[in-house]
Amino acid sequence: MRTARLLSTLLLPALLAGCAGIQQPPAQADRLSDCPKQTAASLVAEQNQLGHLSDSHTLACALTVLGDSQDPAVGRTSLGSRLCLQLAERDTNQEKREKLATQGVGFAETALANGGDSDGAVHYYLAANLGLAVREHITQAMGNLGRLESEMKQALALSPDIDNGGPLRLLGALYLKAPAWPNGIGDRDKALELLEKAVKEHPKHPLNHLFYAQALWDEGDEATLTQVKAEFALGEKLLTEGNWGYSKEPWKKEFDAFQQELK
Amino acid sequence: MRKTCLIIIASLLITFAINAAPTPEMIVVCYPGGSVNVKDANGAMSSMLRVVERVGQWQENSFNSLFTAKADECRKQMAEKHPKFAITSLGLYLELRSQHNLIPVVQPKIKGLTSERYRVMAQKDKYKSLDELKGKTLGGTVLEEPDFIGKIVFAGKYDPVSFFVLKTSNQAIRALRSLDKGELDAVILNEQQFGGLASLQMKTPLETVFTSEEIPLMGVVANSATTTEEERAGFGKALEGMCTDTEGKKLCELFGVETFATVDPAVFEPMVKLWAGGK
Repeated sequence: MRTARLLSTLLLPALLAGCAGIQQPPAQADRLSDCPKQTAASLVAEQNQLGHLSDSHTLACALTVLGDSQDPAVGRTSLGSRLCLQLAERDTNQEKREKLATQGVGFAETALANGGDSDGAVHYYLAANLGLAVREHITQAMGNLGRLESEMKQALALSPDIDNGGPLRLLGALYLKAPAWPNGIGDRDKALELLEKAVKEHPKHPLNHLFYAQALWDEGDEATLTQVKAEFALGEKLLTEGNWGYSKEPWKKEFDAFQQELK
Repeated sequence: MRKTCLIIIASLLITFAINAAPTPEMIVVCYPGGSVNVKDANGAMSSMLRVVERVGQWQENSFNSLFTAKADECRKQMAEKHPKFAITSLGLYLELRSQHNLIPVVQPKIKGLTSERYRVMAQKDKYKSLDELKGKTLGGTVLEEPDFIGKIVFAGKYDPVSFFVLKTSNQAIRALRSLDKGELDAVILNEQQFGGLASLQMKTPLETVFTSEEIPLMGVVANSATTTEEERAGFGKALEGMCTDTEGKKLCELFGVETFATVDPAVFEPMVKLWAGGK
């Protein structure tokens, strides 16, 4: 049955009374004993080498080094937060996933405190980690909707193109999933606008197509069904054929879940 | 009924469970016209149910919810599942009450009230009364239940289907944007939507063309043939204390519900008469 999307849902009904902050993360990731010798400065200098294709051990080692660093120049980057997100996304254990995401929020907050406010990536990874940390907890999710929107908006204004249109994608998804007015910030018109833009400006990222398909599907209009299926198929093709490394599996689950909804 | 109330009430039902059932007791939740995805709504309610189960010391997964935003689907599920308890709109309660022996159990109280008013809004100085809107376009989420609007909100004086050109929407904000642009002549809002108008930036000022009488908020209903008076009373009592519970209070505050009040059946009698009179 086709229905409108909400709450809901992320349900999260909008009502957002007082902001329920998430618990502060531990100071650093679990320590690893068999990591290569590396410095925080070298990691930052070569941060593009760390990403979807890096194995979890490599990312965890890097995270440990970054967590130990007292260098403000390192502390103001988004690297630690990004690595937390990538590790969290691929972790199937909810508790561990949320711990990593919460740690990512902590890294981003440290970056802001060290002068990283003008870096859109800091805001972006803060929002992405925050969303991941609270999404299974309705009161926390609801209480953080305003902050999520604010951080994503800043990311969009400062660095709209990072992570293949990540700020467009995440803000669009937030407007799609959040409770609609007057209960919340959810707004399908805005969601469609942002996600259509994400697809047009960053057509190579599979999730841009998936989220746009979900937004179109939410309209409940039979006339858009062909477009929904086309966007879904394109996104799935990009995921299958692209070199998305360790992100491929968790993203595939997102596609599979929506495919079930389409049936 | 307000979506937020509906969701929280669904979750709270767990506390009134008579016993922790070995198989989950299905709660049918009907929110016609709601901008709610079924999967998301059930997921949200499930999360909340788990919280309430913990608070109420009930066995985890004692209850399950079945959510729908479509009136037809609600009718079907009520007929197939025969739930002991359900959460419905007032319109669906009035329509299904005889068929399923439904009686109201609790109502949410919001801002000190257990009732609400509906309003028809138009651009300022464009229309002075409902009569001037004859043949004009009327939008809104609550139009998913035109019988309810005609018989209860308009007290049987106007049949919305023949009087207006209805433009049902599952998003109130979209309907209001259309009104702002002049694409719609009027929009009908519930109390919650009306209360949220101040947060919108509209180019054109709006004014109220029609205000309904007070209409009771709908909450939990029970099938009187499959539940005992004791069970229903237990439900009511548990709900009444819910918003003072540490965890329950957090949920209540989140959704703006002050408390849940045991229903005085007399409150709904005028609605039942209006509904019958409209036939």
